[in-house]
Formats: sequence, C-alpha cells, structure tokens
Amino acid sequence: MVLPNGKTVIKPRSNALLVTAIIIIFSLISVKVTGFSFAVLAKRGHQFWFLVAQMFPINTHYLPNIWEPLFDTIKMSLLGCSIGALLAIPFAMIASNNLVHSKIVISVTRVIFSILRTLPTLVTALIATYIWGLGTLAGTIAIFVFSFSYLGKLLYEEIETVDMGPYEAMQSLGLNWIDCFRYAILPEILPYFISNSLYCFEGNVRYAAILGYVGAGGLGLIINEKISYMEWDKVGMILVMLFFTVAIIESTSHYIRKRIT
Amino acid sequence: MIKFDHVTKVYPNGVVGLKDVNLEIEQGEFIGIIGLSGAGKSTLIRAINKMHDINEGSLNVDGLEVKDLKGSKLRAYRTEIGMIFQSFNLVTRTTVIKNVLTSFVPKLKGWRKITGTFSKENEIAALDALDKVGILDKAYTRVDQLSGGQQQRVALARTLAQSPKVILADEPVAALDPITANQVMDDFKRINDDFNITVLINIHHVDLALKYVHRIIGIKAGEIVYDGPSENINDEILANIYDNKLPGGREKDEETK
Repeated sequence: MVLPNGKTVIKPRSNALLVTAIIIIFSLISVKVTGFSFAVLAKRGHQFWFLVAQMFPINTHYLPNIWEPLFDTIKMSLLGCSIGALLAIPFAMIASNNLVHSKIVISVTRVIFSILRTLPTLVTALIATYIWGLGTLAGTIAIFVFSFSYLGKLLYEEIETVDMGPYEAMQSLGLNWIDCFRYAILPEILPYFISNSLYCFEGNVRYAAILGYVGAGGLGLIINEKISYMEWDKVGMILVMLFFTVAIIESTSHYIRKRIT
Repeated sequence: MIKFDHVTKVYPNGVVGLKDVNLEIEQGEFIGIIGLSGAGKSTLIRAINKMHDINEGSLNVDGLEVKDLKGSKLRAYRTEIGMIFQSFNLVTRTTVIKNVLTSFVPKLKGWRKITGTFSKENEIAALDALDKVGILDKAYTRVDQLSGGQQQRVALARTLAQSPKVILADEPVAALDPITANQVMDDFKRINDDFNITVLINIHHVDLALKYVHRIIGIKAGEIVYDGPSENINDEILANIYDNKLPGGREKDEETK
C-alpha cells in the first residue's frame, strides 16, 4: 500500500482462506473415516425421542433410592478434587521454570502431570477398583488423579505468567523460596486457582456420575443397572436429579468464580 | 562499611557487568550512582545484597564477605539490607499493610508463617513504618488502588520495617512524574538523615541526583569513572560518564562548544 506521501507499507497476507480450506478438508476426511452417515442419523433419529418419551413421566417413587448414590457421587468429586488441588500446589511449584532452575526436576514433574492427564478417568477408576476394591474409594482416587494433573498443569502455567517483581523483593527481604512463593505469588494466583478448582469440581460431578459403570460407586452404578433393566422411568428420575444437582453446583460455582476473579 | 575490592562481574553471556571496581562506602552516606543504561549500575547495587554474584575480588559489608554467604546466612544478611525497585514490586492484589508485614516473615515461626498471622507488635511496627513515609491512612487499602508515588512509599515502608542498615534503590523514581519523584527523593533524604541509613540510589535524572545526594559514583561499561562529591560534578565529567551522549539541554551545549 502506498501513502499519499509516497511511503509504502507492506500489508501481511491473510491466511484465513488457507485455514478454512484445511478445516473443510479435514472435516470431510473425518466423516469418511468415522463412517458418519446423515442417512442413518435421520432414519434412526426418532428412536432418541422414543427413548426420551419412555422416561416420562419420571418415576418419583424411586427418588429415595437415589439420594445415597447421588451423595456418593458428590462426595467422590469433592474429596478427590480437594485432595488433588492441595497436592497440585507443591508439584506445580517444582514444575514452574521461574521458581526452579533444575531442568530435570521441571521436566520430570511435567511428564508426571502429562501421563496422569492422558489417563482417562474411567480407566483410572477401573484400575483403582482392582487395587482398592469396588466402591467410592476407587472413584475418589480416579477423580483425585485427574484433578491433580489438570489443576497442576493450569497452576504451573499460571505461576509462570506471574510478575516476578514481588518475588524478587521478597528475596531481597531475606525470605526463602517457599515463603517467597507463599507471600509474593500465592496472593496473585489464588483467585484463579480457586476458580479452576471449582470448575474442575463442576466437571468432576459429571465424570463421577459415570464412574459407577466400572464399579467405582455413585450414580453410574444405578444408571447402568436401570438401563440394563430398561426401566426408563427410573433412568429418567436419576437423570433429572443429576441435572438439578449439576445445575445447582454450576450456578453456585459460577457465582463464586465471578466474585473472586 | 561497604568495601568493594577489585570486584569484577562477567555475565554468563560474556557481558561485563563490573570491571575492577574499588569502592568504600561509610555508614550513613547518601550516594547517587549514574551512568547509561547497561553501564552496570544495577549490577553494582545488586552485588551488595547478592542478588547478583560477583566473579572476582572481594566485597565486604561490616566484616562479612558477601561472596561466601549462602542459604540461611545469606537470608539473615539480606534482612539487614533494604531494596527499592523501579516498578515498586508490591503484591498488588492485597492490602498495603500486608505488603509491609512481609518484611517480618523471616522471623515468623511454624503455623504463623503458613497462615500469615502476625503479632500485634509486628502490626504496630508496620503501621509505624507507614507513618514514617506519610501514608498511614492507606494502611488497609488495596495496593492496586494507589498511585505510583504512593506505591513507592509503601515499598519504602516495607523496607523501613526491616530496620535496615543500608537501602539499595534501583531507579526508584524512573516510573514517577517529576513532582512525585521529588517527594520520594525527599523521603529518601529524610530516612538518610533521621536514621543514619546508608542509601545507594541508581538514578537517570542527573539534576535530581545532584539536588539530593552527597556523593556521586559515575559508572561506564562496568568501570567507575567518577567517584566524588556531587558539588564537583561538571559538564565535562558528565560527558565522560555518559559517553558524550548527554541528555536534554546539555547535549546542545556540548555540540556548540
């Protein structure tokens, strides 16, 4: 582009067109590979509504049997998430390159985080049932492993973006590095950390609801059972309860997160 | 007394920070360190509290060889030396008093340290430090509500709460407007006068430095090229320190000569 005074500015070429083309090509490939078919989707689609219709009216007499597994589900996610969040702090500290200078310590911790994060929660829960037996303990451990790795990664990324000025000031005051972290970095990251932990807890309630499928306790146990008995009205009751629980937890956590950040 | 004896510092990337520096600083001096950016002003100041290590020579502070200090000994030594930064380096999400109280953290024990519970004496000492710099009324305000000048005073109060023997200030007024800069320099002068604390200030504003400090150290490419009373500073000396690239009006004077 040429300005009236003769100066030229080269405008960088946009690659939006190329990116769009690539996205379309990959979408087409994935449709082909996964065997996704609109025909089947349209033909069998009414079956979904048929199932939904079978769930209503929901069986309210079944409600007393839901409370216990529902609270188990919430307990698993709350406990697993809390322990995971607390334990994530020291590990995130030694995974942050602005707090620790040993490349080995940093990479080993990060590899641990990545390995644990790639483990699907359902698989962790299944393995945990073989070690600690069927029940909520296995579910809690599975949720703990996921929360620990997920929050740990978010936390060290957060720590690394913090302004190191206050940390330097604390060093000059004669604080050791753990105290420097406690007094200079923690106040800056705490709102985000609590927010992430709450978000994690929200998600975990939903995860925990299916862990019963592998025997790790909670709602999944009875969902699995009622689906196999085709007692759709009871399944409907469970899902309605799950919906309200998740909605209440989500709106509460959303409110708190908005207040603190 | 702070004594530099043939101190040399070379950064790992080969940049020379300090080159054969010899200095003697008595307790209670008020010193301005001037020089171009990258000349080694920061390195000189940070060598004193070992925020930067030196490679060669000896740096002795009140009988302690700074080079040999490590771990808890180094931290104990640092509690006696205050430091002020260009960007204030306060924890902005919390209150003024909590920032000042951090200078008592090294003395806290056990659960008090973890929870950040300070004794009443500490709180009174913190408020007293805030009073000394005239911002007692802001004690329970969040730091991010304060202006730059006020924030630098909070930083000053944090340092005063340590009851330091020496205050190192790295460009303390560079981020402030001229009026606030003068006020902060007044604070430094008062602290220096009233408490006999040695003050070393890195400063870009030569006029401001000459107005306040008693002694000027000029540094160029890691070497001390001037060390003497601020009254003796003249254009020729400044031209040498600043490599003939003098700021503001002086540059024109140089060119017309």
